[in-house]
Amino acid sequence: MKRKLLALLLSLTVIAGSLAGCGNEGSNAGASDTAGTADVSDTTDADAGATDTESGEVVKLRMMAYNAESTRATYLQYLADQLPGIEIEFEFVSNDNFDNVLNSQLQAGEGPDIIEGGGQTKLLARAGYLLDISDQEFIGKYADSGLQAYTVDGKVYAIPLQSWFEGIYYNKRIFEENGISVPKTWDEFIEIHKTLEAKGIKAQTMGAQSYEPMMKQSIALANNMFYSDSANLAFDEKFNTGEGKLEEAWLPAVEEWYKIIEEGCLQPEMLGLSYDQALDEFATEKAAMWECGPWAVETILEKNPDIEIGMFPIPGTNADKPGWLVGGPGSAWAINAKSKHIEEALQVLEVTSTAEAQQALVADNAGSSFVEGVEIDLGDIYADCDEAFKAGNVYAPWTAAWTNGQSVVEAYGKSLQEVLSGSRTVQEALAEADTTNLNLIDAMK
Amino acid sequence: MGGKKRTRVYFLMIIPAFIGFVVLYIAPTAMSFMYSLTNWSVYNPEIRFVGLQNFQKIFTDAKTVAALKHSVKYAFMITIVQNVLAIILAVLLNRKSRVVNFVKSLTFLPAVLSIMVVGYLFQYIMTSADGGLLNMIITFFGGKPVNWLGDEKIALYSVLITQVWQWTGWSMVIYVANLKSIDGALYEAADIDGANGIQKFLRVTLPLLYPAVSFNVLMSLIGGMKMFDAVFVMTKGGPGYATETIMTTLIREGFNSGRTAYACAFAVIFFIVVFIFSQTLTYFFNKWEEAIQS
Amino acid sequence: MSIKKVLGKTGYGVFLACVFLIMIIPIYYLLVTTFKSPAEAAASPLGLPVRFTFDNYSKAIAAMNYLQSFRNNLIIAAASVVLLLVFSSMSAYVIARSKQKVFKIMSGVFMVGLIIPFQISIIPLYKMLAAVHIMNTHFAVILVDVFCINLPLSIFLIRGFINTVPVELEEAAFIDGSGTFQCYWRIIFPLLKPILATVAILDTLTIWNDFMTPLLLLQSSEKQVLLQQVYRNVGPFSTDWTSFFPMLVMATLPLVIFYLIMQKQIIEGVVAGAVKG
Repeated sequence: MKRKLLALLLSLTVIAGSLAGCGNEGSNAGASDTAGTADVSDTTDADAGATDTESGEVVKLRMMAYNAESTRATYLQYLADQLPGIEIEFEFVSNDNFDNVLNSQLQAGEGPDIIEGGGQTKLLARAGYLLDISDQEFIGKYADSGLQAYTVDGKVYAIPLQSWFEGIYYNKRIFEENGISVPKTWDEFIEIHKTLEAKGIKAQTMGAQSYEPMMKQSIALANNMFYSDSANLAFDEKFNTGEGKLEEAWLPAVEEWYKIIEEGCLQPEMLGLSYDQALDEFATEKAAMWECGPWAVETILEKNPDIEIGMFPIPGTNADKPGWLVGGPGSAWAINAKSKHIEEALQVLEVTSTAEAQQALVADNAGSSFVEGVEIDLGDIYADCDEAFKAGNVYAPWTAAWTNGQSVVEAYGKSLQEVLSGSRTVQEALAEADTTNLNLIDAMK
Repeated sequence: MGGKKRTRVYFLMIIPAFIGFVVLYIAPTAMSFMYSLTNWSVYNPEIRFVGLQNFQKIFTDAKTVAALKHSVKYAFMITIVQNVLAIILAVLLNRKSRVVNFVKSLTFLPAVLSIMVVGYLFQYIMTSADGGLLNMIITFFGGKPVNWLGDEKIALYSVLITQVWQWTGWSMVIYVANLKSIDGALYEAADIDGANGIQKFLRVTLPLLYPAVSFNVLMSLIGGMKMFDAVFVMTKGGPGYATETIMTTLIREGFNSGRTAYACAFAVIFFIVVFIFSQTLTYFFNKWEEAIQS
Repeated sequence: MSIKKVLGKTGYGVFLACVFLIMIIPIYYLLVTTFKSPAEAAASPLGLPVRFTFDNYSKAIAAMNYLQSFRNNLIIAAASVVLLLVFSSMSAYVIARSKQKVFKIMSGVFMVGLIIPFQISIIPLYKMLAAVHIMNTHFAVILVDVFCINLPLSIFLIRGFINTVPVELEEAAFIDGSGTFQCYWRIIFPLLKPILATVAILDTLTIWNDFMTPLLLLQSSEKQVLLQQVYRNVGPFSTDWTSFFPMLVMATLPLVIFYLIMQKQIIEGVVAGAVKG
């Protein structure tokens, strides 16, 4: 028996050795394969060019992103068509690992040529990792509201891709059958829960196992009650220096939001639900409402092609004003200051700023464009959000304005989970977010 | 016999492994200690010596202290539960029969699955959504559904259950082997004394299980302290901070928030705790060994 | 048979049945769900599927980029295990046979790794690997798997085994004029087969099931291992558990097959690891 085992091991070793040998070649081949999908230029032509003239050489650009390749497919194809001399190597790194992968590469003086930036863009710009692109011509095409999140000390470091937003999806059939209309105020929204629950219908589902949904929903109330007053926009700058405190500024709004927990519309059971499970409950019509964004629609319709859904903005306290969505410039392309192909990377950004490229971006992931004059038809699902969009009622302070946004909202959202389970107050949750912010400001000193 | 030449050959044989180990294990560990005294963070290129500030911050941050407590609590609980169950199973399954052997192999099987896969599987089994298997079984028998992973009071225990399910078989086979090595004559002697099953277990079996107990306890305790995968896939440290552990906090602060020095300081505390635990345990096990031998 | 005996037997039967059920239900649930449609899985989670469909599996295999990921696992595991066997057997031999102080000190250094989890060093280690530009390579994972995770225990186990081999065998060879290394290679190494098998099994299990190291070190999807593919498919891009469970099954299948074939050796290996340790 022992002999047999050893023979097996030895043969495995031999196989492994040969695999390891071809593994290296294999992974290289793999890398160019993936790049190949984005590159549609005639390869024989490119090869010939590489040996003969410099102008025909194909430049490889690494693009590191936390949105999967499938959400950019149409756009990447468009880039490949427009820029035959550039081959994009699209590298997807999932969101919860993205910062640490990117940071360590940048610290080592490496990293991708083009970086998908989100909340961390300002930090990276401050640390000197990103190229200042303020003087580029294409910057002029963008609305200021889109650039603001990527501007540090008056310098622009990234161009926004399509916006993202979240509102409340609702099941039109359930609403109609129960004579419910889209709520105008937060109280009406809570009232809907009661009406439906009284009839034995689950009103709102939420994947509260993740810290995100409650964090976003409560910030929507802060949008409604705090940021709707333009005087308060200056607060975010104060927050970045540690001077502004959420515990003071947001408390009334988040306490208003808390009513939804007080009234039992959100229950502790939801802390055991994941995003998938919540999506499933909504798609299979077990629940009438779910807060999410356009990226979920495809999956919902896949699960239940017959479902009729709409989205309304999250209402505030004033019935005369449209509600707010949570959202903003989704993510953005920034250029690595140490890139060896800055010129080509700038070309990619320039092409991205055209109306066609913007439409291609939206084709795979609905959102609005920040390039002025580009009209995007979002479709019927979002008809109830029209007014909110027109009023510009879309905001997400942690991506738009905060330096340490991601870590702060994570701490805040996790504390809200404790609020839902009854062991903390909203005031404590806000204080927790403030502490996290101060710690991080401190870490930068 | 050519002592010098031999020493040289010895040296050449051991040095590749030694260099690798020092460079990749000892040096980074030492660096952790060093960085813990600085202000290093990802977004802060200038490194400065700040003394024990990071440690002070750790003990004033309730979240981090809670994570430390969870890990210690988890490690102790899993050590006790897993080993008690494993000993019971080992004693009862230490028989020669096909059925029993089959049950033994089945009990060991989860140990070859990855923790992550077991975690995901149980995340679905324990979900509070409709169709969560465990709650379905409970309601079938007339019980009330439990919010296994969403209730902050029980989430850590739910994770623990899955790990006990996965690793008890591993400890069990070690106990079974140890049981087999116990001299049958000792049981016969106990029989003559008129001892019943439980008395035999307490007087003969348990003391002689010393080697397996010391190994298993030390392993589960250290394993429990560095627990990461199961929490990472099942609860992400939530709800709130209810299941944050040392490792999830280390990864969150060190990688995601970029507070490198702070995370290093936490690693140092982790080191100290593990060191104290293992030294204390080793001390007691040595006492036990002496007691048996005398 | 006395009543007491009958009761005892029944009780034992019930106990066996309980253990069996507790262990089998989660596994059965995992397997049976992979053949169902989402609606079916929700309606009767434990029922047998109405009709067997392998659709879920073909989707999972495609989504996981299975062959490539499997090959990545194999490369990492095989290369690490080979390196471990070579390094640890040589080091263990030196530690077991030499009397010089310097080797005793080295031995002490290695043993530090038995007690202290390598996770403590993870942040500087990560920065270090990034600084020498081997981030996102299998080589980096292999280095960590070999030196940070498995080396100390492997050395420890082999050393314990060598201690039981009589020195006289080598003395005889020395007198015949063999060098130290030939002695190790021709006389000791062949004798180590059983413990090397044990070490290889334990190391394979640890390396194959390690999620954190590849998670932190491998970023491009064509280099990632099976567990990362599972992880990548959770969340916004996963649709439901009937398509997710097959991924769990496919990720663990290789090791389960390994276990079913080599059950006896694996369990012996685990036991040997504990007794020698």
